Amino acid sequence: MRRIIVEAAECAGCRVCELACSFRHEERFSPSLSRITVIKEDKHGLDYPLYCRQCESCPPESTCPTGALSWTTEGTVAVDRESCIGCGSCVTACNYDAVKLDDSSRPLICDLCGGEPECVKRCPTDALRYEESDTFTETIDDAFSRLRKEWKIDG
Amino acid sequence: MADLGGYAGKILRIDLTRREAKTVDLDRSLASQFLGGRGFNSKLLYEEVGPDTDPLSPENVLMFATGPLVGTMFPTASRFNISAKSPQTGILGDTNAGGHLASEIKFAGYDQIVLEGRSSEPIFVYVNDGEIEFRDASHMRGMDVYETDEIIKEDLGDRRVQTAIIGPAAENGIRFSGIFANLMRAASRTGMGTVMASKGVKALAVRGTGSIEVSHPRKFERLVDEIAEEIRGHEQYEGRRRMGTTRILLMANAMGFLPTRHYTAGSFEHAEEVSGERLAEEFNVKSRGCFACTIPCSRFYVVRGGRFAGLYGEGPEYESQGSLTSRTGNRELELALKANDMCNRLGMDVLTVSECISWAQELYEKGMLTKEETDGLDLSWGNGDAILTLIDKISRRDGFGDVLADGTKPAALKLGKGMDLIMQVKGLDLIMADPRGLKGFGLGYAVASRGGDHLRSEPFLELNDDPAIGEKMFGVPEATLRMADRGKGKLISFFEDWNAVIDALEPCKNIMQNMEILTFDLASEVIEATTGMRMTPAEVRLVGTRIVNIERAFNVREGIRRRDDSLPRRFREEPLEEGASSGTVFDQEPMLDEYYAERGWEVSTGIPTSETLEKLNLLGARSDLESLSRD
Repeated sequence: MRRIIVEAAECAGCRVCELACSFRHEERFSPSLSRITVIKEDKHGLDYPLYCRQCESCPPESTCPTGALSWTTEGTVAVDRESCIGCGSCVTACNYDAVKLDDSSRPLICDLCGGEPECVKRCPTDALRYEESDTFTETIDDAFSRLRKEWKIDG
Repeated sequence: MADLGGYAGKILRIDLTRREAKTVDLDRSLASQFLGGRGFNSKLLYEEVGPDTDPLSPENVLMFATGPLVGTMFPTASRFNISAKSPQTGILGDTNAGGHLASEIKFAGYDQIVLEGRSSEPIFVYVNDGEIEFRDASHMRGMDVYETDEIIKEDLGDRRVQTAIIGPAAENGIRFSGIFANLMRAASRTGMGTVMASKGVKALAVRGTGSIEVSHPRKFERLVDEIAEEIRGHEQYEGRRRMGTTRILLMANAMGFLPTRHYTAGSFEHAEEVSGERLAEEFNVKSRGCFACTIPCSRFYVVRGGRFAGLYGEGPEYESQGSLTSRTGNRELELALKANDMCNRLGMDVLTVSECISWAQELYEKGMLTKEETDGLDLSWGNGDAILTLIDKISRRDGFGDVLADGTKPAALKLGKGMDLIMQVKGLDLIMADPRGLKGFGLGYAVASRGGDHLRSEPFLELNDDPAIGEKMFGVPEATLRMADRGKGKLISFFEDWNAVIDALEPCKNIMQNMEILTFDLASEVIEATTGMRMTPAEVRLVGTRIVNIERAFNVREGIRRRDDSLPRRFREEPLEEGASSGTVFDQEPMLDEYYAERGWEVSTGIPTSETLEKLNLLGARSDLESLSRD
């Protein structure tokens, strides 16, 4: 299936993806409302966006106590805002720290913008790509360790 | 304020003495007259800080302001301006940087944060959306910028908090200390870090979860798309992506205006070794960007071998790289990276540090300064280890470092020599472009409201050296010929107004001005799409003119006159001997005459006329200046 892939060595941490996402979904600019969140470690020059990886087995979906999360036919996780009780169990369940809550405690989860992800379109360094891929399991820790090792800098 | 897009809509005023914070709604007329950023700061500075205010007293105000584009996805809109009366120059103090602090201030709900008074205990100020906390910083005393950033993030338990930090240099009262965001984003000109230290504030930490809306989303998005496309298709795009501003070094060298060995030469025989190209090829490992940037032009480097193996960091930019190489005669690029890293961690302005060092080097080379006076340091050109030692000594006010810690002019007074060789205008140390090879730049340094610096005007068109542009834009072909004198008054007035508008809106000047993107015409459209305010291109320029004039009025009230708009004697009397900028000097007085006439300032004194100030609706400044002595 097609999924969003990131190459950490190319991510400049400009956060255009966060802005593109919140503008597309909310028509305003707010990293707190984007479905993608860039983690930055200035000291080591590292940047990495967190977002839904469309895992085959989705812990947030299986642990949601009210069944408010469900798979769509596009392979994304949809949120039923009515049945969601705002408990935040999805936030802790996700293996990729990809879920955060909006200001009414409802989860923000990537919907791939209907197949044309705005973050990918606007990424100025092409660190984000939307492409056919069976699996993408690199975590932020994996990526940061890999680059630190490659650059021979201390952790 | 709900009717204006782009703005957060509030100004946060923090009284450090009383530990009180209050918010004030942003006034629509302030927005339309001054736009934001530098404009807001300069206006408030004029109103609240007078000639009797000691820059290091509680009465000085320290302001952080950002612009209406920041927080949106407008390409490169990431910058903030910090202003106060300067302890380094005694006049308008002002510095500007990018990174991720400015947008966080907007998301926290503010267009401007004003720190006033003085905390009796060392603190850091934590702005968490609407909650303002004064937190103990006594355990951070003496910590460098990196250590402080780490401990704040640990204290707050939040890695996404954005910080603006002073290092130990500021705490030691070094007059040219800066404020650092994202560790390496140096807001370091004119000693704003020294002011923050005098207020008992080690850092400002900001976390914002709000949002910014624009007035016309569809039009805004279209403009963003068009501008992003123009940037990506620009001839400078690849060079900037790869090298940032360090791409300039070899160009400056070829054109003979690369300040070398304290401006005794205009080209450096080791330029290739210390170039942006070499940095990119051998040391850069990754690109990094400021908030919302379309050309992430910052670069992370790692030194993997040699005596500086294990050194890593972001940058440097051209001014720092040149300052720590050609200006000081140093050919070892890795050592320059180390020196830059030290200045960042200790929290000092690299341009002023390198001026202090290279001025002392020139005295030493001329036999005017001996090892007895320099604590035994051999200050021969290019002695890199002495450069590193001196940076450390300056930051601690140790021995000869203490002589330099207030800047070169106080040092010349203390030593009783070398006054004739200091490279400053109005107490601010000059940048890395020799004005004998760029006459318009030189005029810009002479009249700049924060002293000897290019970022008030930066008339990059001189680099094209094309008379057709001068003819078309100003009706004077020489205006855009770099070695010519005529037409520079028009050139500098135009560029000063343009830069003031960009500093008010707060995108990146390197991109929006140097790449000729955000013209007054386009700015008019962008301002309307973002804020809803309708302004013609001429009205947009008028905002720039107004900012330049309120800053001039501030300086005039502090005693600045035409006589202070003057470059160091060397540029006016001694031509460069070799290279593509040799053979001419900076002929200052005719250029000043033309500039004042263009500005509507009194030619004999450089004071804005009453008519000029009235046209700009600066009525308070008009009556203040009318009552001043003309001397």
